[in-house]
This record gives sequence, structure tokens and C-alpha cells, in this order.
Amino acid sequence: MRKKRAPDFLLFFTVLSLLSLGLVMVLSSSEYAALVYYGDGLYFFKRQLLHACLGLAALFFFLRYDYWQFRRLTFPLLGLSFIFLILVLIPGVGDTSHGAQRWISIGSFSFQPAEIVKFGLLLFVADGLSRRGAEVRKFKALLPYLGVTGLAALLILLEPDLGTALALAGTVFVLLFCAGVPLSTLGLLGLAGLACVGLAIKLEPYRLKRLFAFLDPWKDPLGAGFHIIQSLYAIGSGGLFGLGLGQGKQKLLYLPEQHTDFIFAVIGEELGFIGALLVITLFVILIWRGLRTALYAPDAFGCYLAAGITAGIGLQAFINIGVVTGSLPITGIPLPLISYGGTSLVFTLASIGILLNISRYSVR
Amino acid sequence: MANIVIRRRLALLFLSSLLFFTCLVGRLFWLQIVKGAELQKQAQENRMRDIPVEAKRGDITDRNGRLLVTSVSAESVAAFPPQIKDPGKVAAELAPLLEMPEEKLKELLSRRQAFVWLKRKVDYHTAQKIRKLRLEGIELYEESRRQYICGSLAAHVLGFVGVDNQGLLGVEKEYDQVLRGVPGRIVIEQDAVGRDIPSALHRFYPPRPGDKLVLTIDETIQHFVERELDKVVAQYHPASAVIIVMDPKTGEILALGNRPTFDPGNWQKAPAEVWNRNLAIWQIYEPGSTFKIVTAAAALAEGVVRPEDHFYCPGYIKVADRVIRCWKDGGHGSETFAEVVQNSCNVGFIQVGLKLGKEKLYHYIRAFGFGKPTGIDLPGEASGLLIPEDKVTNLNLATISIGQSIGVTPIQLITAAAAVANGGYLVHPHVVKAIVSPEGKVIKEFSSQPVRQVIPTQVARELCKLLENVVLKGTGVKAYLDGYRAAGKTGTAQVVSPKGGYVPGKYVASFVGFAPVEDPRLVTLVVISEPQGAYYGGEVAAPVFKAVMQDALRYLGVPPQEGLARPTKPWYEQVPESKPVKVPSVVNLPVHEAVRALKAAGLSFVLEGEGDVVCSQVPQGGATVNAGTQVVLNLKATPEGGGAEVTVPDLGGLGVREAAVLLEKLGLVLNPEGTGIAVSQSPAPGERVKRGLAVKVKFAPPELKTPP
Repeated sequence: MRKKRAPDFLLFFTVLSLLSLGLVMVLSSSEYAALVYYGDGLYFFKRQLLHACLGLAALFFFLRYDYWQFRRLTFPLLGLSFIFLILVLIPGVGDTSHGAQRWISIGSFSFQPAEIVKFGLLLFVADGLSRRGAEVRKFKALLPYLGVTGLAALLILLEPDLGTALALAGTVFVLLFCAGVPLSTLGLLGLAGLACVGLAIKLEPYRLKRLFAFLDPWKDPLGAGFHIIQSLYAIGSGGLFGLGLGQGKQKLLYLPEQHTDFIFAVIGEELGFIGALLVITLFVILIWRGLRTALYAPDAFGCYLAAGITAGIGLQAFINIGVVTGSLPITGIPLPLISYGGTSLVFTLASIGILLNISRYSVR
Repeated sequence: MANIVIRRRLALLFLSSLLFFTCLVGRLFWLQIVKGAELQKQAQENRMRDIPVEAKRGDITDRNGRLLVTSVSAESVAAFPPQIKDPGKVAAELAPLLEMPEEKLKELLSRRQAFVWLKRKVDYHTAQKIRKLRLEGIELYEESRRQYICGSLAAHVLGFVGVDNQGLLGVEKEYDQVLRGVPGRIVIEQDAVGRDIPSALHRFYPPRPGDKLVLTIDETIQHFVERELDKVVAQYHPASAVIIVMDPKTGEILALGNRPTFDPGNWQKAPAEVWNRNLAIWQIYEPGSTFKIVTAAAALAEGVVRPEDHFYCPGYIKVADRVIRCWKDGGHGSETFAEVVQNSCNVGFIQVGLKLGKEKLYHYIRAFGFGKPTGIDLPGEASGLLIPEDKVTNLNLATISIGQSIGVTPIQLITAAAAVANGGYLVHPHVVKAIVSPEGKVIKEFSSQPVRQVIPTQVARELCKLLENVVLKGTGVKAYLDGYRAAGKTGTAQVVSPKGGYVPGKYVASFVGFAPVEDPRLVTLVVISEPQGAYYGGEVAAPVFKAVMQDALRYLGVPPQEGLARPTKPWYEQVPESKPVKVPSVVNLPVHEAVRALKAAGLSFVLEGEGDVVCSQVPQGGATVNAGTQVVLNLKATPEGGGAEVTVPDLGGLGVREAAVLLEKLGLVLNPEGTGIAVSQSPAPGERVKRGLAVKVKFAPPELKTPP
């Protein structure tokens, strides 16, 4: 049995900070909308709090659960996630909201299969790469992983959820990078990925307009540019110190998805540049500690798993903040640990638990 | 511990993510610190809902401060749809009060809008009833409604406003910015669906009332004008009529009226062509003889003619292989230029025009302001029509000299005439005298300075005298004013067809003149298009001029003078110049032959008794009498004993009444067409016809004999 240490406390407290801040911001940002639409200002907050507790439970569970055990679960988990991915696309099984079929409901319990896929795929790729060792330098050896990733991304794209599909592919890409896949191969993969995105846009031309509205949102202020303009209004209104917690005005139904994808705009408005900088700093610390965990992991599997989890969270955070600040094309993707959304929160906290578990076996 | 490649890659990954997140921080710095204030302002504006508070629109008064247009408050009903819980119920309650269909109201109340107007400017009682209902999400806002106190008085000058009190025509449009004021606002910060939000910003910006306009119009003189226009319409049923009264020294329009007209308070009820055409500045017509003022002014100013110069009018003039006839049969004979003006002799004016040449005539036409808008402060002014100077032929020059082949607007013509009255100085016509602030402070006064001198003062005075003779002895005697020396010029022109050429039987009768001649106070133009029954400018328009001027001058307190020269009878009531003629003997001749013989001798006649043969005559044949003397013919039945047939007499040259009497004596009936002097008849003279037959006779005015 390998030697166990204390988990990475800095990582843990960083995550706890983000989680607490997220809960406060969900309350602040969703209260008005919840009151208007549900007659209960705490509607979203209570659900998020519940999921945070569930997530923390998962975190503590996986903190103790030996991550090596996951290798055995790789294929069942991957298989299960693909079943869900296909199920969600079947009308009547998947729930439709905002024109996309992303949820599966069982009774009052509903979840996003995409979150499970993210985890399943991560295990599958980390497991595979760690088994292949130096073989990963050959393109042929990567084919199964690329194939499975491509299939998963395609299924998510059918929901449609371009943002999540991109984050998924991006995570795998980062993982391949860490594993030492030659840069030339990665370059080719990147080009292939771009081509796929191009194809996806070509199939659904509405995406093009929405995607590139961020370049000049004022060209179509009531259409494609609406989200981003409202988001910029919110962030800009914050100034250095913000309007103060709860004092934001853009969340008053101007800002769409104010407690989910655009929660960072509310942070910018209420907590100002200082608050936004704090959130970014916390994420950078999380990435630092996560990659450090990967670096000191006792084995290749742990290393890839830690790197993958960290990359997944970091990539999502980067894309989300990029979108909200109008720096990246608009794709609907939540801010990990902060945005409202049960499945995402639980799975993120669970994966943090795994990360912390890996950190316990650090070799120095 | 991972291998070296992986270690390097992980480090690289961390560094690149650090770089990426630093970029995001940079972006945030740009948005929040650099652009922060700007975005915050935009965001606030985006969240603000403006509720406009209308400013009270400025009043409009006449030159003496008499109120013509004011604004009274009226309330408008608005709804905030997001606050209305049961649109169906609210619609049902409001529908009968607002007199609107319930479905329409329900649709308005269910709209996904923060704010909708339900009905604008309802009356006071309706507003009170709605207020009492205390419906949530229904608000009343005070607005104002324009009130035109004198109905349709000066409608085309005042214009009118639309539902948002925006000026649409007349001075209401021209001075909209002045009258409008600055609307106030109530600004309320709201959420995206129109609810007031907690800790919302409220701001009230009070409106600034609009400034007042003081017109140059004199309400009383305008009343005279409206009264005369109504009379003209009742008497002549013209297609349109225009009267303008102007102060020749300042260019101030004292009255301006058009027919047809409309009520500015209910402008929607009148056809668009009535309210959107201010004929006084929009109508383009051939001025005819009134334009001879310009020809005369140019000729006198250039010295090509003097009043005492001699002319000879043989009744026609040949210009470029066309024969243009004077309106008077046989011509005016030998006459001075003064008489040419007085008689409105076409031949004389054409000679003068040709002598002037097109360069000089055009110089004066332009100097008097024709060919371009006068710049009066009313919307919709036309430029008139001028044949381009390089395309003017001699024939054009000839016809332009007598006011044909040129299109002018009434305002251009009166401005030109005013220049003659004003010692040769052209003024700028305008209808607004001053702009006054709501507090009564004069903000702007409009200059009444002359624009330029068109003809020397001496020439203008000379022309005034010639024009005075028109009223005293010429075509304009019906414009004669009791107690005031008036000068002016008549005009009878044919209506130009849009297809080119003239519309047969349609005329524009006009008169332009001013008084008192020694110090003109008013210049008035009367233009009556397509009058029915009569159409000479001197007969139709001149009396209107007289009626307006007589009242206006007396109203203005211009002292009347005693012992002024009396006018002669109008030309069509005048007997030809007396010269001795020998009376032919017509006893025992059939009536028609007797009449022909008398006419040939230059005598008139009167018929007594019944029959178709002359049995005796007074004076006897062979007597010498003055030309034009009446010869009494006593009639008897034909020797055959009054057969059923009579000989049709030659009616050529007779007036309507004379012809009717003659035919009646012969047992025939007159079927007249037109007015003036008989020009043709059917059956032809000399034909034997049954008694009781109707003889068709065409009458035409002498001026008609001038071909276009």
C-alpha cells in the first residue's frame, strides 16, 4: 500500500472559497428572477445549497476512495455515459429547455448526461494513455481515444450543446498535450477540431451569427448581440469596487442566464474589478495546485487523471469568463463551482475529491 | 514522479493558463476601469423608461396680440401591460369609456411592452371616469390639444398639428421648433419587463413651454378677406380663389386666404389637396394682364418708352408669322403709352416688350422676384415657371409681355406689385412678426428691410399714376375706392391645361392694386380661378379688391379724401366715342336688315311694338346724329299678315340683352352660350325660320380674341 498523506489543503480551501462565493452569488443573482418567476426568492439558492451539500459529500467520499479503483470502473462508466447520451436525445426521455435537449429526469431528480460523459471519458483517456506509455507518440495508438472523444462530442453536439462539446474535446486535447503527444500531431488535431467546428457551424448557420456577435455586439443589439451587451453593461457598471453585494441592477431580468452562464457578469457588477480578480486568482490557484498534484502523482494514471480534472475545470472557467467579458465567441458553458446547476456542481466537487485523493499520494 | 516530457508539458500548461487568465484580467481592466463609467451610463439608460411630459405648445396671436391659436390641456390614457393582471377585465371596463372595441383594448393591454398609449387626448369627463376606476397599470397623462379659436380663419397661414402636437403645415410647421418647447421627462428605472425596481432612480425634468408667435396677420382684415372669399364662392362657384393683403413697405402679410379651405382643428375631415396646398404660395397660373405692370416697369426704367409716347393699335400685331389680336375689335387706334396701360392694350405692350428685348425683360422679371420662391416663411412655396432665357423666341417675348407663357404664384405677383407701390423697393413677404417667450420677452423680431431696389423711385411713381388711371378710366374702374386713390391692374387669363395649350372656357380673373396711391398702405391681390357666370378680372376680381380695401383702409384709420376724381363707366357699359353719322332710312325693311344697317352706321337701336317689319323710325332717315345714338324702331306685322316664318337677324356684335330683345320682337327665342358679345349664331342671318324657334348664339369676351 502506498503512503498516504494529508490532502492538498490549499487546493481544498481554494475550492471551498469558490464554492461559498458561488453560493452567495447564486443567491444574489437569482433572487429577483426567482421572485418574479417562482414567487420564492430563495428558489434557486435552496437547490444550489442542496447540490453543494451533495457535492461536498461526494468530495469527501472520493477523497477517501482510492482513485486506483476507478481503472476497473472505466468501461462500465463510459458505457453508461454513452447510454445516457443517446437516451437524452430520444424525444420524451430527454427534457427540452431553451431549444436543447440536455437533461434526463427521473422523478424530481434530473441530471445532465454530458457531465457524466466528461468524467467517464476522462477516466477512459487517462487510463488508456497511462497504459500505452511512450506509445502515445504514435498517432495510431491515439485513434481509439480520438474516436471515442469524437463520438461523445458529436452526441453532445446533437443536443445541441456546442460549448460543452468544445470543453470536452479541449480537455482531451490538453490531456494529450500533457501525455507528451508530439506537437505536430496536436497541431493536426487542432486543425481537425477547427474543421469540425466549421462543419457544425455550416450545418446550423445561426451559430455563426451568435458565435461572432461578440466581435461587434452593437451591430445587432436586440438579437445576437443582446446577451453580450447586457453582460458588458453589468461588468462595466462594476468599476473597481463594484456596486456592492446585492446591489446589481443588470440581474433584474436584463442579463439573461444571470445565475448560470452569466453569473460572472453579476460578480463583476456587484464586486467590481477586485471581486472578479479574486475569482480569477482562485481559479489560477486551483489550476496551479491541480497541475502540481498531477506533477507529483505517484503514477501516470494519477497524473493524467489529475491533469484532466484540472484542465477540465480550468478550461471551462477560461471559456466562461472569456464569453462573459465578450472576449470569446458565445457558447453556453457554466462557470465551475460558481454557476447555478446541480449536475455540474456535484460532478465538479466529486472530481475535486478525486484530485484531492490523488494529492494524498504525492511523491516528492 | 512523472517523466521529464510530462513535467515539461505540465509546466508549460500552467504557464499558458497563467497567460490566458492574465489576458482575461486585462480585458476586465479595460471593461471595468477604462470603459466602466461609459458602460455604466449606457446600462442606466438602457434600464430607464422615459415618460414624456409634453411641453405646452406656444400660442399664436395676430399682430395686435389677439389670440388665434392656443393649447388646452387634454388627458391621454396609457397602460403598463406588465402590471395588468387581467387584461380581459380591464378591457371590458375601459371599452365603453374609450369607445374602442374590447378586443383591440385587450390586445393592447396584453402586449409585451412596458408602455402603450390606449387613447390620446380624451375629454375631461372621460378622463375623470377613468381616474375613478383606479385601475392598476392604467395611467392618465396630461397632454395638450391645439385649439384654433377662429375656426378656419387664416387656416392656410396657421396650418395645423398632428396627434403628437407636431406642426404639420403652415406656421405650425415652419416654426415648429419655436412653438414646440422642450418636452419634460419623468425617468424611472425599471426592470426588463417594465416593473419599477427597488431602489430605482427617479428623475423629473420639467418641460419648457414653447415660445409664442406674433403673426403679421391682422385678424380684422383677415375677417374681411374671408368674408369676401365666401361671397366670391357663393356668387361665382370658382375652382379656387385667393386673396392676399400685404403692407408694401414691410412685406408683412396682413391677410391671406384661400378657397377651398378647411378647419385646422378638424383638418382630417378635409381632402388632402385642400390643406396641403396653400394656393397663395403654391398655385402657378398665367398672370395675364396683371403682369403688364412688370413689362411697363421694365420699359419705363430702361427708358425704352415714356408715358406720352405714341402707339398705334390696329387691333392686331404680327410677331414671327403669328398674328396676335388685341382684345378690342378694330384696335385702340392711336394712343399714348399711358393709354396703352389704361386700356391694357395688348398690341402696345407687345411692341414695348419686343423693343425691350429678352435680356432686359428677363432682368426685370427676375429682379421682381419671379422664377424663384419669395422665401415667405410658410412651407410649400412654388417657384413659378419661366421659359429658360436661352430658349425664349420673339413670340414668347411678345406673349410674356402681356403675361402669357409665364407661370407665377400669387405671392410672387403681389410682391412685385408691392415693389411698384413701395417706390421700387422689393420687400420680403413674411407672416411672422416676432417670437415672444412664454414670459412675454421678445426673443426675435423679423426684419422688414427691403431686399433690393428693382426700379428707380421716380419710375415707380410714374407707373403708379398710370395704374391709377386703370382704376379711374381703364379696365379697373370697378376697383375704384370711395375716398382713396387706388391704382391697380386687371387680369383675365385662360387656364393652362396640364397637357399644354389652354382649357377652353376656363379663366383666371385677377386684380392687383394698392391704395392710397400717394402713400400706399396696402396692396391686395385677388385671384379667382374658373369663376362661373363672368370672368373678366375687371368685373369679377376688381369689386372684391374694392370691398376688401375699402373696409381695411377705413379700419386702419387711413383718412379718406374729399373731392377725388370719379371713375368713368366701365368699358363694356360705355358708348363708343361720339362722332357724327347719318341715320340710314330703314322704314319698311325687315327688322334684321334694319338692324344691320343701323349697326353698320355705328348706331344702336331699340325696338317698339310687335312684328318683323319697321313701320317708322326716330330719328328719321337722313338726320345727322352722334355715333352710338339710339334709333327707335316701331314695328308692325309683315304685309303678308304675320306669316309663320320670320327672317333670322344678324346678331353679330350685340350684347346678350340686346340680342334677346331683338329676337323676342321677332317671335324667336334666344339660347345664349357664354357672355360678352355675340360672335356666332345658328341658324345663320337671313335664313327663314318658323316663329318660336330657338336661336343659338355664342357670346365671347373681347379679350378672347387674343390667341394664346
